[in-house]
Amino acid sequence: MTKIVVLGAGIAGHVAASHLRRKLSKEHEVVVVSPNSNYQWIPSNIWVGIGRMKPKDLIFPLAPLYAKKNIDYKQAKAISFYPEGDTDEQKPYVLAEYVAGDEKGKKEKVTYDYLINATGPKLNFGATEGLSPGNNKAHSVCTYTHAQEAWVALEEAIQQMKQGKKTKILIGTGHAKATCQGAAFEYILNVEQELRRHKVRDMAEITWISNEYQLGDFGMDGMLLSYGSNILKSSEMVEMIFEDRGINWILGAGVNKVEDGVAHYETLDGEYKQETYDFAMLIPSFSGHGFKAFGKNGEDITERLFKGFMIVDADYTPKPYEEWTVQDWPETYQNPSYANIFAPGIAFAPPHGISKPRKSKNGTDITPAPPRTGMPSGITAKLVADNIIEMIKNPNHELHHKGSMGNMGAACIASAGFGMTKGSGISITTYPIVPDFKKYPDTHGRKLGKTFGSIGLAGHWLKLALHYAFIYKAKMKPFWWLIPE
Amino acid sequence: MTQRISKYKRFMMMNPIVQFFKFIYLSLKVLVIVAGGHGGTRKA
Repeated sequence: MTKIVVLGAGIAGHVAASHLRRKLSKEHEVVVVSPNSNYQWIPSNIWVGIGRMKPKDLIFPLAPLYAKKNIDYKQAKAISFYPEGDTDEQKPYVLAEYVAGDEKGKKEKVTYDYLINATGPKLNFGATEGLSPGNNKAHSVCTYTHAQEAWVALEEAIQQMKQGKKTKILIGTGHAKATCQGAAFEYILNVEQELRRHKVRDMAEITWISNEYQLGDFGMDGMLLSYGSNILKSSEMVEMIFEDRGINWILGAGVNKVEDGVAHYETLDGEYKQETYDFAMLIPSFSGHGFKAFGKNGEDITERLFKGFMIVDADYTPKPYEEWTVQDWPETYQNPSYANIFAPGIAFAPPHGISKPRKSKNGTDITPAPPRTGMPSGITAKLVADNIIEMIKNPNHELHHKGSMGNMGAACIASAGFGMTKGSGISITTYPIVPDFKKYPDTHGRKLGKTFGSIGLAGHWLKLALHYAFIYKAKMKPFWWLIPE
Repeated sequence: MTQRISKYKRFMMMNPIVQFFKFIYLSLKVLVIVAGGHGGTRKA
């Protein structure tokens, strides 16, 4: 019997646990350790943030599903890692602390044969002074509770606009090294459309603020896209959309402090500026969870497991942007020191960014961190599950399942407004996610055709269809595995 | 606000009949890219 412990029940953790359970016989144990009681389909949070969906539309409780599917579930948070066990416990284990129920506060050594660390990112609001969801008129859509709070504030702003108050709205990134520009991009377009729906668009000045050097960078160094019969830069496409929607933009901005209705930021030119607002949604930086790891005798071995996020089979040798290659990116998400530990999704430490790194004249890094959205999180989690299954059957087997972000496509269906007839979406696919400048030297590292953009109502329908399809899949309903990651 | 999308283009973007076929096309296109697989890069 083999025991596989999955830390986290987000997209990566849940995909890994569900595939392991489906493919492994009942003699093997699958354990999920997560502090969250609900599964949430994060890509739809933006619709909660504009009041067009309720949190209940994108969440469901994990405990009943896992009980039904014979997955052991512990509502607990991981505290520290003991990959060699300790003097009392021979098996490797994770120290976890229960966060709810009768066992709240109790610590347990959760032993494992294989460990999947799918703990995702820590929302590091603390890295920006004054940035905290719901405070200083600044909000977040990173979780469904944050998004719900954002909608309450936005609705109040809409009511004030209806009474004639001119309002400034600021949406974008809340830190010089934040990622997830895509979510902020979706939110700003949805907010803009909702203001038109409420007939108050002329009362609002909407501004995009971002650490991107150019519009449409998205932490992916921008893209060259097939757009109809044209070839377009993603910067040109986003500029077209923003101008058409009357959205202003501030680029190369590292937000470093938020006060009541004021965002302070540093520009790449080294200037310190500020932007006032009545309502803001600013994405925080992401960081690792600060886990510690200990050896058999209690010695600190954190550096063997973590580099902020978890160390995997990437090439972490520091090198300049011009020398970055797709080969630097991990293929199996296996920790090099402990072959039974994997980190798919957002939990792995990327070798470097994807966008060209830039510093302000004062030396501040103002560059988007690399994004790892739902699709690569799901794909990497599934391949990790498949590799573990092969390792269980043949422990000396080479890992066959590989999925580098330099050899993987991704679809980003960005909502640009909600509504079955008035909605809009920007469908973007990119291949590969990490540009391969050797393979595709003339098209900015990506394959045209597989990297394309499209705007229109169909994009909204597609995003909505994916919402229902992926919640169906996450609930492990009949034939769920036929829906690809 | 600067009009950057022509009225004709906007009509095409929001026409439910045109967009229904676009929806089918996009769904298949995304599926092909997803199902198109993934792999390593180091032993290519």
